[in-house]
Amino acid sequence: MMDATETYRKQVQETAHVLQRRLGGFKPQVALILGSGLGAFAEEIEQPIEIPYEALPHFPISTVPGHAGKWVAGTVEGCPVLCMQGRFHYYEGYSMAQVTFPIRVMHELDIGTLIITNASGGIRPTFQPGDLMLIEDHINWMFANPLRGPNVDEWGPRFPDMSQAYDRELLSLAEQVAARCGLSVQRGVYLAVTGPSYETPAEIRAFRKLGADAVGMSTVPEVIVARHQGMRVLGISCIANLASGILDQPLSHEEVVHTSNQAKDRLTALIKGILKELKR
Amino acid sequence: MSVKAVRVMESVAAIRRLTSFRPRIGLILGSGLGELADRIDSSVTIPFREIPYFAVSTVPGHKGELVIGQLEGQTVAAMRGRVHYYEGWPMDKVTFPVYVMRELGVEQLILTNAAGGLNPAFSPGDLMLIADHLNLTGDHPLIGANDEPLGPRFPDLSSAYDKQLGLRLKEAAKQLAISLQEGVYAGISGPNYLSKAELRALLRLGADALGMSTVPEAIAANHCGMKVLGLSCITDMANPDLLEPPTHEQVLRVAEAAKPAFLSLLCRYIRSCGED
Repeated sequence: MMDATETYRKQVQETAHVLQRRLGGFKPQVALILGSGLGAFAEEIEQPIEIPYEALPHFPISTVPGHAGKWVAGTVEGCPVLCMQGRFHYYEGYSMAQVTFPIRVMHELDIGTLIITNASGGIRPTFQPGDLMLIEDHINWMFANPLRGPNVDEWGPRFPDMSQAYDRELLSLAEQVAARCGLSVQRGVYLAVTGPSYETPAEIRAFRKLGADAVGMSTVPEVIVARHQGMRVLGISCIANLASGILDQPLSHEEVVHTSNQAKDRLTALIKGILKELKR
Repeated sequence: MSVKAVRVMESVAAIRRLTSFRPRIGLILGSGLGELADRIDSSVTIPFREIPYFAVSTVPGHKGELVIGQLEGQTVAAMRGRVHYYEGWPMDKVTFPVYVMRELGVEQLILTNAAGGLNPAFSPGDLMLIADHLNLTGDHPLIGANDEPLGPRFPDLSSAYDKQLGLRLKEAAKQLAISLQEGVYAGISGPNYLSKAELRALLRLGADALGMSTVPEAIAANHCGMKVLGLSCITDMANPDLLEPPTHEQVLRVAEAAKPAFLSLLCRYIRSCGED
């Protein structure tokens, strides 16, 4: 097991090395992960440097429609960012180590802040499609953990704390920016499932009892790894639809992408406002 | 015979070359609770690495040895340290020693652990008799072809923790005036400590305590027909509303303070097993 861990660690370093060479002297301060239908944010990046995932060694390649699969680096509102347009999902068959590989690479590039976005199904009855939910906490219902296996002490502790996985200051900052821009945002708990099937109405009722406000198939593995390494995390979920059984109609990926597209202007305004505050 | 059954026999043969003891009681001693093994008389100590197919733990506070000898008039086999699922071992490796214990002749397995308390009536340092468990590890030690010689395809877990043994432990606690809680242990994979939202979810599911061990071993022990007694030492309160992040060192420290009660309770219990 130690050998596999050591190989993984070397791969992270090699990938980060190649990525940094492609970025030249550019030093990103904030990393962003753009979820289903939310990739358009990358158009806001000034003087973008684009690096397709396939240009990097050891890097997995996304297989889902709506996920382009490239890094886009540049500045937004004066803040140097590194954006992942497209991410890797556990349901695609990637291992947790592959799903969270980009986060290890971000840390290797000394990026201290992660803004992670996703499209989710709304469980809280007052949610409407298109709402933006700031992730206050999560429930890992994927039953797989990216930290299982030998611990790399240089990356973080054996038993990392998750009592405040989503940074309080970033949450307040996001709320302040939203208020200033006249955007309505709500805090909530994101529950992650493996997918790829959407949940049944009975599962959604169960998740509601467990305290979940929204459900999705990503984010939690990445956040666990980011926290393992001490990165500050802000999570923003776009409520793409109401979860199964809340409305009497079936769910589709097209609907998710459509609603996310509609919410993208508000999400873009919110993230731009936050980056403006975060720039050093 | 299945590959696993053959391996179990090989491990047992290696152990029997080193001792003629025939243990009837097995113990798995969790984080910071290994000291009970020091009280075993005329003992033989076998490092896990010397037993074929045993995995060797990498966690601080886990020594990794099998101690066989006499304790309170009973012949026992105690595992000082265990391997955990979060270390990356497959469930098969995590539960392998349980089958070896069974083949050694162990009839009852005492599983101990350090756990986080969820039930608001608990305090750090409390001891909890495990009444039942929730398998929330997301995995199962019996997935795969069933080893028929070891146990049935669909083992019953309706009383995974033996009621009679539980009553005996309660009686021992009463005699010693040690307060003993009772509750449901939720087994998670770890290695991260849970988020507040996850702790609230576990409370709603009916968990009284949570930890990163025990459940796979309890399932395996039931599979191969052993009676199980489970005892948790509540080393911190996993209260989602006033959570101070615990460190592994803090966990070990509370386990240290609770140790005298833990040790005397288990010793009295084991002595009482010979009083039928």
